[in-house]
Amino acid sequence: MNADKPLVPQGPELLDPVSARLVAVTLVLAYLANLLPWPDSLRWLVPDFTLMLLLYWCIHAPHRANLGLAMLLGLLADVTLGGLMGQHALTYTLAAYAALGLRRRLENFHLSGRALQLLPIFFGQQLLNLLLGLAFHLPDVDWRFLVAGVAAGLFWIPVAHLLDGLTGWTNKMHIEPADNRTSARSLLKSQSGARGPK
Amino acid sequence: MANAPMFARAMGLTTRLALYCLASLVLMVVDSRYDALTTIRSLSAAVIYPVQGFLAKPFDFLSEAGDFFTVHGKILRENRRLILESQVFASRLQGYEALKNENAQLRKLLNLSHPAGTRPMAAEIIRIQPDPFDRRIIVDKGSADGVEAGRPVVDAAGLVGQVTRVYAASSEVSLLTSKEQDAPVQDQRNGLRLIVSGTGSGDQLEVRYLDMHVDVKPGDILVTSGIDTVYPLGIPVARVLRIEPPRQTPFAKVVCEPIGEIGQHRHVLILNRADAAQASGARK
Repeated sequence: MNADKPLVPQGPELLDPVSARLVAVTLVLAYLANLLPWPDSLRWLVPDFTLMLLLYWCIHAPHRANLGLAMLLGLLADVTLGGLMGQHALTYTLAAYAALGLRRRLENFHLSGRALQLLPIFFGQQLLNLLLGLAFHLPDVDWRFLVAGVAAGLFWIPVAHLLDGLTGWTNKMHIEPADNRTSARSLLKSQSGARGPK
Repeated sequence: MANAPMFARAMGLTTRLALYCLASLVLMVVDSRYDALTTIRSLSAAVIYPVQGFLAKPFDFLSEAGDFFTVHGKILRENRRLILESQVFASRLQGYEALKNENAQLRKLLNLSHPAGTRPMAAEIIRIQPDPFDRRIIVDKGSADGVEAGRPVVDAAGLVGQVTRVYAASSEVSLLTSKEQDAPVQDQRNGLRLIVSGTGSGDQLEVRYLDMHVDVKPGDILVTSGIDTVYPLGIPVARVLRIEPPRQTPFAKVVCEPIGEIGQHRHVLILNRADAAQASGARK
């Protein structure tokens, strides 16, 4: 069975599934934030809000946000930011894949811990983006834009805090599998103990 | 969940990732090699640009409002700066006027035909001795430049004075108007030989001990006579202003004004001996 896409929502999503409307609205807002007229001198510092939101939903609502959505948002970003077609699509998809892979692990961390583990993803996405631009069409690359990746990692903390508040998500809601395992083990023990004398 | 499938039929995550990556790469190659995606791009731009403009509007408005409030202070600051600048320019312009005058005088000095047997040397006045009777100036040429004591000093208009002391790199010039200074002259009109003396006043010379019927008229030009071998022949010295008839003394007195523009410019010419330069050159 496919563990990455369970048939029914599991863990916290099972208790309080995130509504599709919330995901859509936050993503649109993030996209509009990217469209804001940031001053050109600060452009290299502005994090990619769409990617931040996408990764948040990949981690907390994987039944809503998946690789297809990442690809779609990437294409939208390509059209908007004027890069090569497919450039952001590729990096968004890879970032979403990495986030989905980290999902289980991240659920056990607090906010800053999650941000710290997501920071390499943001940074790598930005680096790959610049490298792709360099490889395909740009004559030269402004390496300052790597700072935007770090900024996204730092800015993810308040954004995630806000969204956690909106969805009511806490890592306390995570159902620890440890209890099940011990109970299974004790069950096994009791079975073997029962068989032993025979 | 009634319609939940019994078996997962969706593709694995990695498979989907590979598919999406492949699609993205194809898109990138197509976009960079062909112009196929230009229409998509222009269509999407037509949708996105109005949105961007709409988003930019509040910020434009805010910056405009900010401008409205900062404009007053800005104008004040600019006004202050402009006033300062205009002062700076005015002072520069003054310097320009002075330079223009000096340039004109230097040109005149250059055009001056110097008397035979002399070698003119331009010198700059570096200091003026403040003694009201003994009028002297210090110029920046000295014995190192071949200046000798006793040589006449002229400017573009006429005689200025005489070198009285020579130092290594400067020399002292006694002006014609100083009290001790005399010069043998000739009336240009009739060749009458006279001696002009300084009075200690800046703009007055006089000829003393004249016969009361002497033939000198106001407006006569007095030039050096060349008799004393100090001043070469024919340098304009003074213009006669008036003749004072004798009162308590038996002699008449002629009051004249110097022709050389004494105390007006910063440069003078020292008329060195032509053979002195040759001699010093030979010594070297």
